[in-house]
Amino acid sequence: MYKLEKTNLDDFLRTVSKDREVYALEQAGSQYHLIRSDAWQAGKHTLGAFRPVEPLKALVFHPRDLLGSLGDTAPGADIPERIVIGAKNCDVSALKIHDYVFLNTAPVDPAYKEAREKTIIVSCDCTDACEVCFCPAVREQPYPKAGFDINLSPTDRGYVVEAGSERGRQLLEKAGKMLSAADAAILKERDQNRQKLLEKVCAQTEKMGLTCGADLRQAVEKSQGKKIWDDFAEDCVECGACNLICCTCHCFLLADGRGKNNATSRVRQWDSCLYKNFATVAGGANPRRHRAERLHNRFDKKFSFFPEVLGCYACDGCGRCVEACTGKIDIRKVLKRAVNEL
Amino acid sequence: MSCNPYMPMPAKLENVVQETANIKTFLVRPEKPLVFKAGQFIALTVPGIGEAPFTPSSSPSISEKIEITIMRVGRVTEKLHALKPGADLAIRGPLGQPYPLEKYHGQEVLIVGGGVGLAPLRALLFALFEDMGKYKKIFVRYGAKTPADIVYRQAVEAGWGRKEMDVVITVDKRDAGWSGNEGVVTKILAPDKLKCNPKEGVAVVCGPPIMMKFATLELLHLGFAPENIYLSMEKNMSCGIGKCGHCRLGPFYACKDGPVFSFDRIKNLQKIWD
Ligand SMILES: Cc1cc2nc3c(=O)[nH]c(=O)nc-3n(C[C@H](O)[C@H](O)[C@H](O)COP(=O)(O)OP(=O)(O)OC[C@H]3O[C@@H](n4cnc5c(N)ncnc54)[C@H](O)[C@@H]3O)c2cc1C
Ligand code: SF4
Ligand code: SF4
Ligand code: FES
Repeated sequence: MYKLEKTNLDDFLRTVSKDREVYALEQAGSQYHLIRSDAWQAGKHTLGAFRPVEPLKALVFHPRDLLGSLGDTAPGADIPERIVIGAKNCDVSALKIHDYVFLNTAPVDPAYKEAREKTIIVSCDCTDACEVCFCPAVREQPYPKAGFDINLSPTDRGYVVEAGSERGRQLLEKAGKMLSAADAAILKERDQNRQKLLEKVCAQTEKMGLTCGADLRQAVEKSQGKKIWDDFAEDCVECGACNLICCTCHCFLLADGRGKNNATSRVRQWDSCLYKNFATVAGGANPRRHRAERLHNRFDKKFSFFPEVLGCYACDGCGRCVEACTGKIDIRKVLKRAVNEL
Repeated sequence: MSCNPYMPMPAKLENVVQETANIKTFLVRPEKPLVFKAGQFIALTVPGIGEAPFTPSSSPSISEKIEITIMRVGRVTEKLHALKPGADLAIRGPLGQPYPLEKYHGQEVLIVGGGVGLAPLRALLFALFEDMGKYKKIFVRYGAKTPADIVYRQAVEAGWGRKEMDVVITVDKRDAGWSGNEGVVTKILAPDKLKCNPKEGVAVVCGPPIMMKFATLELLHLGFAPENIYLSMEKNMSCGIGKCGHCRLGPFYACKDGPVFSFDRIKNLQKIWD
């Protein structure tokens, strides 16, 4: 655990991001955007108070990937070495879902593996929360505990810098001159900041009626087939925004076509389980014919399937789907009702 | 390319056999042998059009060329049915889990098929034939819509030329030339038509969902234990390797954990027959 003086932040970030494509946060009004550039730029880039609009998953599980052409032995497009600066816990934690799907269950997805290996993650504690954040309700917290290469915790005394991986440690060595051992006072301040923000997010979540720590798995499993889903699904227009913006959703579709020179190509693109024909089989039979069934399925995958296979919810409480939903369906209200109807 | 699990290997269509008005068997030669076990499936690509999952219907002991029996139902299968021998295809697999044949040793094996569902069961039959001594007896109960819809008709009617086989066929609707059974497949599962011992038997079912549902209920009624009833769960599939999320069935992916499931594993899940 190290301490970094505030005045050294820009130098530090330029050092660790040297020779890498940089993805950093830029503020626009009350929001942040995750934007690509050639280098860390003081003034333009910020560590951000909370997560950006864009989910981090898009960097490692691309919205659309050309997988290859039939009979083509060349690998896919080269991904440059890159670094993400300012990632927040919800996004970092969500990568465990994608790691499970694409890396840790055979066979390995080569494009994901390459992107993951070439992406350094410099995360940062949240210093504030957006209105829609509710991470404590899904057993998360507004600072990362794992999954980062380097984490920064802003305090009045400077930054606490922590390596979370071997390559993180190696990068810190390069910036060694700027770092000193973290003292008790700065660590204490970090812990106090973390606790204070956790309490704030917890309070805003509970104000919405959603109890932090409630058994969401049971609530969602027991709600299957009940009226709650008909009621919420009434507002769903099947746009798929909730899935696409979600930092954990991983479903995709393989699609074939003909490209240049009439060569056949296969692409992998994000898909949405709210789309009517997501599970339709030949002949037209559809196990989730009704929108209510598809909406429940989205929650079932997050709060039942992943707890079963991986031991965690596939929701990190980022609240992006709340902001994105065309029908203004608020996941917090859905979960609240499911819990209350238990 | 071969290390990308989403990409198929080139294959040639060598021959096409018309089985019924809307079902053909395609003889496909992959660029390299494709070794599979009975119950596993493959994904077949029509270049530039798309990919769809099918179960080989030929013997798993032959990997140089594979037969696939396919019903014409939609976009990809429509294109497949229009192809002539010599056409370029591509194939990916094997995918999914095989039938657990070791569990069938010493048992009577009851095979229940409906329509084109007999195709994957044919690969299973060929696998059983290779080791006939290990199984007590093989029963086949097969239902087709009309006599003209019976696949592999000659072979089925002749019990694949094997005297130890007990084969009964039924059609939903008879025609002028049919003197055999009429009615849905559950009718020929009735105890008077099926002299098997459910206590020492396993049942393997493949067919349209509605047929599988009623066949399963009948088999339970006959006394088959849920863990001895094996069902092919054909869900919407895209990746075939447990990544795309399309085929989820409760805590399982039908492509990776299936497509064959013993009934006890899925009986408490909602809506498995839809
Ligand atoms: C494990 C398994 C084994 C099978 N074995 C056999 C077999 O041995 N023999 C056999 O005849 N059938 C078999 N089937 C069924 C077979 O896979 C379907 O009949 C086949 O997928 C139909 O494809 P289609 O494109 O012709 O039909 P369609 O009805 O056009 O499409 C089928 C599915 O693809 C989707 N779809 C259609 N068009 C598109 C598009 N443009 N983009 C994305 N999705 C689209 C549809 O929503 C539908 O879900 C098996 C299925 C499974 C899962
Ligand atoms: S479900 Fe909504 S709140 Fe949960 S991780 Fe996905 S976008 Fe964020
Ligand atoms: S974002 Fe809202 S309207 Fe769009 S598919 Fe999701 S739940 Fe339905
Ligand atoms: S077909 Fe993609 S997960 Fe099963």
